[in-house]
Amino acid sequence: MISSDGIEDEEKWLAEGIAGLQQNAFHMHRSLVPIPKPNPNFVRLNFNSRFLDFQFVVVLLKDSNNLRDALKYSAQMLSELRTSRLSPHKYYDLYMRAFDELRKLEMFFKEETKRGCSIIDLYELVQHAGNILPRLYLLCTVGSVYIKSKEAPAKDVLKDLVEMCRGVQHPVRGLFLRSYLSQVSRDKLPDIGSEYEGCYSACEFILFGDPELRPAIGLSGLQGPAREKEKREKERSELRDLVGKNLHVLSQIEGIDLDMYKDTVLPRILEQVVNCKDELAQYYLMDCIIQVFPDEYHLQTLETLLGACPQLQPTVDIKTVLSQLMERLSNYAASSAEVLPEFLQVEAFAKLSNAIGKVIEAQVDMPVVGSISLYVSLLTFTLRVHPDRLDYVDQVLGACVKKLSGKAKIEDSKATKQIVALLSAPLEKYNDIGIALKLSNYPRVMDHLDNGTNKVMAVVIIQSIMKNNSCISTAEKVEALFELIKGLIKDLDGTPVDELDEEDFKEEQNSVGRLIYMFYNDDPEEMLKIISVVRKHILTGGPTRLAFTVPPLIFSALKLVRRLQGQDGDVIGEDMPATPKKIFQLLHQTIEALLSVPAPELALKLYLQCAEAANDCDLELVAYEFFTQAFILYEEEVADSKAQVTAIHLIIGTLQRMNIFGVENRDTLTHKATGYSAKLLKKPDQCRAVYACSHLFWVDDQDGVKDGERVLLCLKRALRIANAAQQMANVTRGSSGSVALFVEILNKYLYFFEKGNPQITSSVIQGLIELITTEMQSENSTPDPSADAFFSSTLRYIQFQKQKGGVMGEKYEAIKA
Amino acid sequence: MVLVLALGDLHIPHRAADLPAKFKSMLVPGKIQHIICTGNLCIKEVHDYLKSLCPDMHVTRGEFDEDTRYPETKTLTIGQFKLGLCHGHQVIPWGDLDSLAMLQRQLDVDILVTGHTHQFKAYKHEGGVVINPGSATGAYSSITYDVNPSFVLMDIDGLRVVVYVYELIDGEVKVDKIDFKKTATTHATH
Amino acid sequence: MNFLVGAFKQPCNISIKFVDGDTRKQAPLKKENGQTVMVPLFQSQENIAGEVCLEPVVGKKVEHNGVKIELLGQIELYFDRGNFYDFTSLVRELDVPGDIYERKTYPFEFSTVEMPYESYNGVNVRLRYILKVTISRSYVSNIVEYQDFVVRNYTPLPTINNSIKMEVGIEDCLHIEFEYGKSKYHLKDVIIGKIYFLLVRIKIKNMELEIRRRESTGSGPNTYVETETLAKFELMDGAPVRGESIPIRLFLSPYDLTPTYRNINNKFSVKYYLNLVLVDEEDRRYFKQQEITVYRLQEDS
Repeated sequence: MISSDGIEDEEKWLAEGIAGLQQNAFHMHRSLVPIPKPNPNFVRLNFNSRFLDFQFVVVLLKDSNNLRDALKYSAQMLSELRTSRLSPHKYYDLYMRAFDELRKLEMFFKEETKRGCSIIDLYELVQHAGNILPRLYLLCTVGSVYIKSKEAPAKDVLKDLVEMCRGVQHPVRGLFLRSYLSQVSRDKLPDIGSEYEGCYSACEFILFGDPELRPAIGLSGLQGPAREKEKREKERSELRDLVGKNLHVLSQIEGIDLDMYKDTVLPRILEQVVNCKDELAQYYLMDCIIQVFPDEYHLQTLETLLGACPQLQPTVDIKTVLSQLMERLSNYAASSAEVLPEFLQVEAFAKLSNAIGKVIEAQVDMPVVGSISLYVSLLTFTLRVHPDRLDYVDQVLGACVKKLSGKAKIEDSKATKQIVALLSAPLEKYNDIGIALKLSNYPRVMDHLDNGTNKVMAVVIIQSIMKNNSCISTAEKVEALFELIKGLIKDLDGTPVDELDEEDFKEEQNSVGRLIYMFYNDDPEEMLKIISVVRKHILTGGPTRLAFTVPPLIFSALKLVRRLQGQDGDVIGEDMPATPKKIFQLLHQTIEALLSVPAPELALKLYLQCAEAANDCDLELVAYEFFTQAFILYEEEVADSKAQVTAIHLIIGTLQRMNIFGVENRDTLTHKATGYSAKLLKKPDQCRAVYACSHLFWVDDQDGVKDGERVLLCLKRALRIANAAQQMANVTRGSSGSVALFVEILNKYLYFFEKGNPQITSSVIQGLIELITTEMQSENSTPDPSADAFFSSTLRYIQFQKQKGGVMGEKYEAIKA
Repeated sequence: MVLVLALGDLHIPHRAADLPAKFKSMLVPGKIQHIICTGNLCIKEVHDYLKSLCPDMHVTRGEFDEDTRYPETKTLTIGQFKLGLCHGHQVIPWGDLDSLAMLQRQLDVDILVTGHTHQFKAYKHEGGVVINPGSATGAYSSITYDVNPSFVLMDIDGLRVVVYVYELIDGEVKVDKIDFKKTATTHATH
Repeated sequence: MNFLVGAFKQPCNISIKFVDGDTRKQAPLKKENGQTVMVPLFQSQENIAGEVCLEPVVGKKVEHNGVKIELLGQIELYFDRGNFYDFTSLVRELDVPGDIYERKTYPFEFSTVEMPYESYNGVNVRLRYILKVTISRSYVSNIVEYQDFVVRNYTPLPTINNSIKMEVGIEDCLHIEFEYGKSKYHLKDVIIGKIYFLLVRIKIKNMELEIRRRESTGSGPNTYVETETLAKFELMDGAPVRGESIPIRLFLSPYDLTPTYRNINNKFSVKYYLNLVLVDEEDRRYFKQQEITVYRLQEDS
């Protein structure tokens, strides 16, 4: 309520101010009219007079009255600007109205001087005003005419105006007044070579920019309710814009060239800045200097500018100032390659680095976040300007490490953010993790992050690698990288795992998994070294991580095995490390680690993958060993029936593809597999697994096993199980089960029939078809549209085969369906 | 005209870091009406990524999928076509066309899409089509050597389906096209 | 007496004219009735010459015991109303006793008249110069006519004119140093100066320079002091910070000043002061007063 009232009040005050201003402006206008409005007195004189001269005298007389009135009313008008009740924003509104009126007054003064009124007198006359603010506005207005008249050197007039303006110390009013002065004198500023013979050192003009800064910002330190403070903050920022404007005017004076800036302007401004001893004023001034003057000037005066920094008040927000300076310089460097030699020439990096060190040293109380953000800025600068100087980058990181040394992990979230920014910058710049891995101080900086952020950073690193598809090609680099991301690889300082979000954890670990695929070297030896390094690290991860990290490692190794395939054998040097055998040993031990998780199903699948790879490498014993391990797991660890089904399929599928086993080994394994199949929990699963086993005895290639009898045994066994399944359905549901299993088995019969298994005859098939047909027609059969469709399409297939003719067609002719 | 993306066996992160960037840039959201995925994604992130390309997504279970709720097989009808989806590790011998044909009959579908072998295949068979989109990431396979990343895009329009195969060979995307017209006789009447 | 003069129609008109009446400079003079008239302006040691013209009402004879003209310098203290102290009194007899029938003129001259004091019209005191013509009569009242004139005395530029410089303050609160360029100013002069803020711990709102006139009349226990503020000139708006210096430039010409008068005929003094006033945000005023000497500058010097 109060604040809204405050706003309403302000509106009211502004309205009053405008009204007062307009009223006086109205009177002022009347007195500005060169020929006064006829008043009775004047008209009488005019008409009674026969002498033109006399009329002239009258006009002159009236004119001097006009002048007096003009001054009186304009001063009254300007008195409205004396208000303290408006915020700078509203004040600006009022000011702009007064500004417009003052332009008219300026025209009037100009006319006056043309009509013989002495500008010097005018200059004095306006100074009679008792109130300072109207007086100085009028003085600036006349002063502007004065300069144009060239009756006095422009510099003298300006100097005087600037000096007199010191009288207004009120932040808002002073600023607007100076703004007015700079505006009316802008086109008259003594640019070198201008018609105003500007030996007047333009930087003197800065002086006028000076006094308002302190009070402008000198509002600080006032204790007050938060609302007040907020208001002040707002005012301050509005003021800051104006201050900036003034410095901006200065910066636009063409006469200020680099030499002048270097020798006069900058030292003078800095002197002012240092002397003003107000923290906020210093901050704003430094900020303004950096913002308004050209980058190349900053570059050439870096030493001077930076030299002022340690002299500022200890509480000045110097880090922001420096950050902005570096940001500007970075952008400047990025703007054109041509400017880069300048940076080298002035040794910008060394100077900045030095200055930052000094500032951090001087400002003992600067929070850690402050110093780190300075390093971030310096790093950004370095990366933009000297991307080729990795030593610089490392130096910056090293300085940061030094600053952080002795401190425990950073807890402050802002500081953490800055460290992350510091670490991310090189990644973003180079898009190459290899660079970061070369920076010796990089992991040392990371060590200061809390565990959570350390992980986040590790993820950022991984993402950077993925994004850029950076290949990490040596074991050494991989080792270094794992040092960086160790927060993901293992529990740091025994962080309890239970506080982690499961989703996040999964995502992190999966990203580690993906990362493994970024390690690659064409040389198998180096690749094996890489794999060994990865293995070493991920095995430290504990049971929670292994399930995520082991599979990628296994497959990465299997890929290497495939590369080595064919190179095997007794190549010279029996101790050649990168052999499939050796890798298989490694794999064996690695998969074993999964048992601690425990993840028996996963381990089983991986064993089978290894077995098949060993098969391809003609390593029968190795393959057998892997199968053995898989079977042990199946028997002892895989309990879930669904998982068993999948496992059985994979076992059969893999075993079916194995071609190196001798008869004995093969028999052992197939025997086991069929045994498992028949022991699955659900009958349909049993049935399907058993008929799948038939393929173990009939491999459809040249040297494959072709044991027609055992195939038939499998299929018959499947039929029995199907039958049993149906009977079970009868018992439990009172109706016979689906014929789907029979149709499936029929299809298997057809398969082997086509493959030429002599045990599978057309009559056997014929019988099976009839069985199914009968079954489907029986009264208590359960309607099963999908089984019906399956059967129909199977029959259709038989027809299709018959119609195809040829050998197969003839074969099929025997089947009546 | 309906665009159906068929892919599978990404094996992320077990066997590959990610989809090839070239594929990712081709697969933009909003262009595809259906995704059918044979399985082995293997993780939720990949599932979510695919889902972001097209919310109508059908997945069957591969042996390495962490999400065990995916079905073993799935059928769906798009336009005039009935599609069947299965990962394929259940069909022994793996990749065997005749065995897959049996599955096609079992599911009674016009188009059967399976994976597991990581080898792209597309056959016209008994008036239907059997497709294996290969591995979208070119993942290692014990069955197939030298796997190229590949996926399939089916353009189903009335009785016609055009199957585009995208294969990444030595960094270049090659596209093949197989045209298939369904004849009225194969249309299931029961 | 005046009252009577005004009340009845005089039998004879008296007019006083100065020889250089047309060319002599004039100065404004505020009459008792509040009107301002222009009267001739003299300075000390000047000759005051002219003629007195007597013009009886037509057909009347004016019998008199003699005609004289007096030059009077008077100090009139208002609290002691009616009493004039004539510090100067010069008489010239114009006519011996006799009758006047018609218009008659008499030249007169006071040469190198010593007029040490300036005409002054203050709050409690007036110093004036008059020419008084008296036609003395027996049995009836004298016929009297007055002519005011103004005296201004000029001073050359002072040879010694030190600046006023002073450091004042309230301990640990406010410390300023001010400097006025001179201690003696002529009436059209400009006060140039500067105020340095050495220590500012109070919130100053603004700062003014006042010109104050202190008129003291009487002596001893009967001293009356009247202080007027003639000028209030704002020097600064807002709160300065330590180290700031604020310029002063105050033109004296717009203000109605007189020179400083010190102990005029033991009757009165008029002194001028510059009063520097600082006002803080709670409207407390801090001030420091310094006397300045005002003088009338010889025009050609």
